[in-house]
Amino acid sequence: MSEAGVIHDIGYQRYQGPRLGRGAVLGALYTHGLRAAFGLGRSAKSKIFPWGVAGIVLLIAVINAGVRSQTGTWLFDYYQLDNTMSWLVIFFVAIVAPELVSRDIRSGVLPLYFSRPLRAADYVIAKVAALVTAVWLLLGVPQFVMFLTGAFTTKTGMKGVWHELGLLIPGWGYSLLWALIFTSISLLIASLTGKRAFAAGGIVAVFLMTAPVVGVLSVLPSDTAHHLAGLASPIALINGVEIWLRNRTDLGLDIGDLGPIYGIEAFCLIAACLLLLLARYRKVASL
Amino acid sequence: MSTVAYITARGLFGRRRVLLLLPLPILLVGLALICRSYNVDPNQWGQAVVVGLGLAVVLPVTSLIVGTGVLGSEVDDGTIIHILTKPLPRRDIILAKLLVAAGVSAVVAAVPLFVAGILADNVHFGLALAIAAVIGAVAYSALFLLLSLLTRRPVLLGLVYILVWEGLLGRFVSGTRVLSIEQYVITIADKIAPTDMLPGKVNLTVAIVMSAIFAIGGTIYAINRLGSFSMAGETS
Amino acid sequence: MSVVELQNVSRWYGNVVAVNDISMTLQPGVTGLLGPNGAGKTTVLHMMAGFLSPSRGTVTIDGKPTWRNPSIYRSLGLVAEREAVHGFLTAREFVTACAKMQKLPDPTAAATRALEMVEMTDAQDRRIETFSKGMRQRARVAGALVHEPQVLLLDEPFNGMDPRQRMHMMDLLHALGDQGHTILFSSHILEEVEQLSGLVQVIVAGRLAASGDYRRIRRLMTNRPHVFALQSSDDRRLAVALIGEKSVSGVEIEPGGLTVRASDYGSFTRALPRIALGEGIRLRRLLPSDESLESVFSYLLEA
Repeated sequence: MSEAGVIHDIGYQRYQGPRLGRGAVLGALYTHGLRAAFGLGRSAKSKIFPWGVAGIVLLIAVINAGVRSQTGTWLFDYYQLDNTMSWLVIFFVAIVAPELVSRDIRSGVLPLYFSRPLRAADYVIAKVAALVTAVWLLLGVPQFVMFLTGAFTTKTGMKGVWHELGLLIPGWGYSLLWALIFTSISLLIASLTGKRAFAAGGIVAVFLMTAPVVGVLSVLPSDTAHHLAGLASPIALINGVEIWLRNRTDLGLDIGDLGPIYGIEAFCLIAACLLLLLARYRKVASL
Repeated sequence: MSTVAYITARGLFGRRRVLLLLPLPILLVGLALICRSYNVDPNQWGQAVVVGLGLAVVLPVTSLIVGTGVLGSEVDDGTIIHILTKPLPRRDIILAKLLVAAGVSAVVAAVPLFVAGILADNVHFGLALAIAAVIGAVAYSALFLLLSLLTRRPVLLGLVYILVWEGLLGRFVSGTRVLSIEQYVITIADKIAPTDMLPGKVNLTVAIVMSAIFAIGGTIYAINRLGSFSMAGETS
Repeated sequence: MSVVELQNVSRWYGNVVAVNDISMTLQPGVTGLLGPNGAGKTTVLHMMAGFLSPSRGTVTIDGKPTWRNPSIYRSLGLVAEREAVHGFLTAREFVTACAKMQKLPDPTAAATRALEMVEMTDAQDRRIETFSKGMRQRARVAGALVHEPQVLLLDEPFNGMDPRQRMHMMDLLHALGDQGHTILFSSHILEEVEQLSGLVQVIVAGRLAASGDYRRIRRLMTNRPHVFALQSSDDRRLAVALIGEKSVSGVEIEPGGLTVRASDYGSFTRALPRIALGEGIRLRRLLPSDESLESVFSYLLEA
């Protein structure tokens, strides 16, 4: 008593229409990363840490701005803001980088991602861009607040505003340098493990480990060691680049005329970390 | 109790994670050796290396990795249930884990600090650092063990404590130093072997009492929390 | 002999009531805790095992509360739903460690016995992280059995087991139940419960919907007509005669026989032979077709 089995077409159809390309995938991954960095679209708990850090930095910028509007001089200028906030940036990056990268590894969704028209390079670019944007916003928005105060309290009208703008733009560029260096290092470390706690601990440890090395190198009897001391730690490296580009000698670190080396190392560090990230995800992508 | 310690120790060392504990002590000793071999005046590098790297980074970060690893990982992946469904008094379980955590942290931190101390000054200084490091390891381990039971993200909170509370605020707000284990360690070491390298900012009695409170109070609270350990199933 | 007792136990999380006023007593033997997903089975099991405190009511084993009482684990074994186990240990090391933590006088012998009971003797020296899901499950059962507990609680124990392992585990649990241990296992797969035990506790949405032998429960559901499949020498004449009977609420004639719906089980079973005899019809087959656990369960869910 059997009938021939029939499967009826109830409307499941394959999509034949136009599809968005790789660029759209990259863009979607980028926006998702940026939103995840600040906990948007997730529970309240994941918003505490990033917004807390952002709040502290903003608060300090506001205090700074307040001081400026009262006394006419900054407590610290655009560059010094970044330098003072170094520990907070470490903390921010130690939280956000694992959120962006370690979570994907832990939950095993990478094969799903890479079975779409998404190359390893796209994935890396999207994540790097998201974190760079997040860190840049973290530093850049407070700098902008400082700029607004400076612009509004200037006594020389439009010229004053232009002058202030001329200080803001390099300040933003400096923040971008911070973002690039911190992003490349932290994403590389975070991509090594699926557990967010380890990634966070590892990132913090790497940044903290390197600071005393600078201190030691700067007291060694050799002059070259003095000048090159800053290369050992990312934060000192960034300071070194700042000193070199602004051509000043009074900003703390003594780099002699070895400035270009700092620039080269910064560039190589960023490039190396990004290439290593790429290599890491190439391996996963071919699974 | 020894079985619990055995399982904990194997769990700690049986994974690649243990390799993470190596770079910090090696770096500490390496830097001290470099400075010593160049005959740099210890007053210049002593503080940066011994305090900046040793007491501010190596000791707390090691204690964090180990202290959250002994209990936190078991709570996280659920294997703690095999230890809890046994007629062991919770006190024994916590003490066994604390012993392993404090022991490992103490060795990993105290030995390089001892060596660095010798290179910086003399054996007495090295011993002072080692003893203070052991006390600090016990206090940190108790704290991080407790955090593993209080929250689902103990490493993050531990990092907040180390970086923000001890690191950032301790630098600027003098009131927070009373609750900073790093300060107790510095003060105790300074008392045993006074040098200019150790900027002790907390009263010695306070340091000793607070260390004891952290260690003993943390342990007692952890024992209590383990006794009320709840697992509600997959939806927890 | 250990008696597990829940008295008016409720457990809530904020506004969500997970367990709603459940009272039950577990007897020696195998009892199945049955319920759909999210009904509260794991909550009840964890409360019995001392891993959750009831918001109201008492959970006791031999009169002693299970919460904050590590000594109950001398006579209690729990196999939880999560498959977490220390992967870096071998099966033998794990079971021996369990035996040592139970403070048994001869841990190695007890471990060997437990491993034999779950048939893991040839794989005992491999690390648990190399095991398949079913083998890990068996290792955990061995760890829970090593101290021969009076009470054994298993949360979805057959998850991930292949049919052969499942049969073996069922035999094991049967044997333990016959020896007088109190065994409670939870499941949402009806065939497992049917094969393993007749006694069930059915939990639906946090409430205890029914307890006892599931066949008797079926008979208690008088608002549902019992369904019988009937084959006889003359179906149509029998159908006509049955429709006139008071306890029959419906008859369907199908190519393979009759399907009779009876509202009163007792009267129908007495009336049927009388009717057949009176009509001179030979009955070939009479089967109750909704006394399965599945129908009991679905009736309880709809109720």
